[in-house]
Amino acid sequence: MKSIKLVPALLSFVALVSTTVYAHHSTRGIYHDDQIKEVTGVVKAWRFINPHPYLTIDVEEDGEIREYDVSFGGAAVVHLQRRGYTDATFSVGETIIVAGHPARAAGVYGLLIEGQVGDPKREDGSPVVQAGGSMF
Amino acid sequence: MRVSFSKLSLLAACSLAWCGTGAYAATDNIPDLDGVWTFGNCGGGGAFNIRCMVLEENDELLTDRAIAYRDAIDEIAQPKYDCAPMPIPHMYTDPYSYKIEQLDDRVLIYYGKDDVVRTIWLEGHGHRTPKMNEFFYFGYASGRYEDGALVVTTDRFTFDPQGLNADFRIPSSTQKQVTERFSKDGDTLVLEVSTIDTFFLKEPWTFRVTSQPDSRAWEGSWECDLEASRQILKLMPPMYPNDPAVKRVDYR
Repeated sequence: MKSIKLVPALLSFVALVSTTVYAHHSTRGIYHDDQIKEVTGVVKAWRFINPHPYLTIDVEEDGEIREYDVSFGGAAVVHLQRRGYTDATFSVGETIIVAGHPARAAGVYGLLIEGQVGDPKREDGSPVVQAGGSMF
Repeated sequence: MRVSFSKLSLLAACSLAWCGTGAYAATDNIPDLDGVWTFGNCGGGGAFNIRCMVLEENDELLTDRAIAYRDAIDEIAQPKYDCAPMPIPHMYTDPYSYKIEQLDDRVLIYYGKDDVVRTIWLEGHGHRTPKMNEFFYFGYASGRYEDGALVVTTDRFTFDPQGLNADFRIPSSTQKQVTERFSKDGDTLVLEVSTIDTFFLKEPWTFRVTSQPDSRAWEGSWECDLEASRQILKLMPPMYPNDPAVKRVDYR
């Protein structure tokens, strides 16, 4: 658990999850669409399940451990499978690096992996999935 | 251009008539719609173009009543956070394939999300129609073959707080009526949809999309997880903070 970076959205990150999924579990207004934040954290839970798989990680931030909900937006199991994700992609206790749009609300922590944000990475910087094809 | 359409769960459908099956006979008047189809594309280039199907947040078709409802209801009150399926025609904006099965007296439409199965009761087969007090989440759908197309009319919907758009909190009323026309253009499936709901729409909302045969394996089971459906609610501040906290029912 360590670093947290705020990265200007127009820099970095290749569009690996390239097409914004049209999400009925609306993400409108929940995340800062103009910011990308990168954190390093420890996997607490990975639920590869419909309607939307999600990841929970513990991140050390400002001297405390904060639980971040990591969302893949409107993507469902079938969409992430096409990118190479499985229910074994993340293991509880492993350290990963995640970038995403940070949640807006005070006192809660979340990241949205969507649009120009790339897939999470292992601690050594390698991607958790090999670049797959379109989610659709 | 836009249009719209409808669905009925198999369970609800079976309550209205027997659930037997039979083969259908393709003729010049009956298009071959059987198979799995990609989600609809509005055209104009690219494999992902769904904008024509989206009723926008400030769409000029919306009545003042619709806008007032949109502004008053909060996001957390949407049934989608309880695993409720998308209504029709909004369902078509979800990027999932769908499967059509043509039988002699009905047509089944399976959507690749939410375990949706709609039954289209073909006219002329003596199917029971709903009683005056029967309403359905996906409405009651009847259909006929006409000029080489399957024409489906769906009404008798329950009031649905996400009935016209689940992202912008646009509801639909019991007056929603959805007409869908399925036809073929070569190997392409053409779907034209028109929706009326005079409570919430000033004029019919229409769209036209095309689909291609989808050779990928059909994902038959969705199995929505209640906890996953509600996960994002943690990140939403309450719109009505002075109200008692909402306690959602655990259906499991």
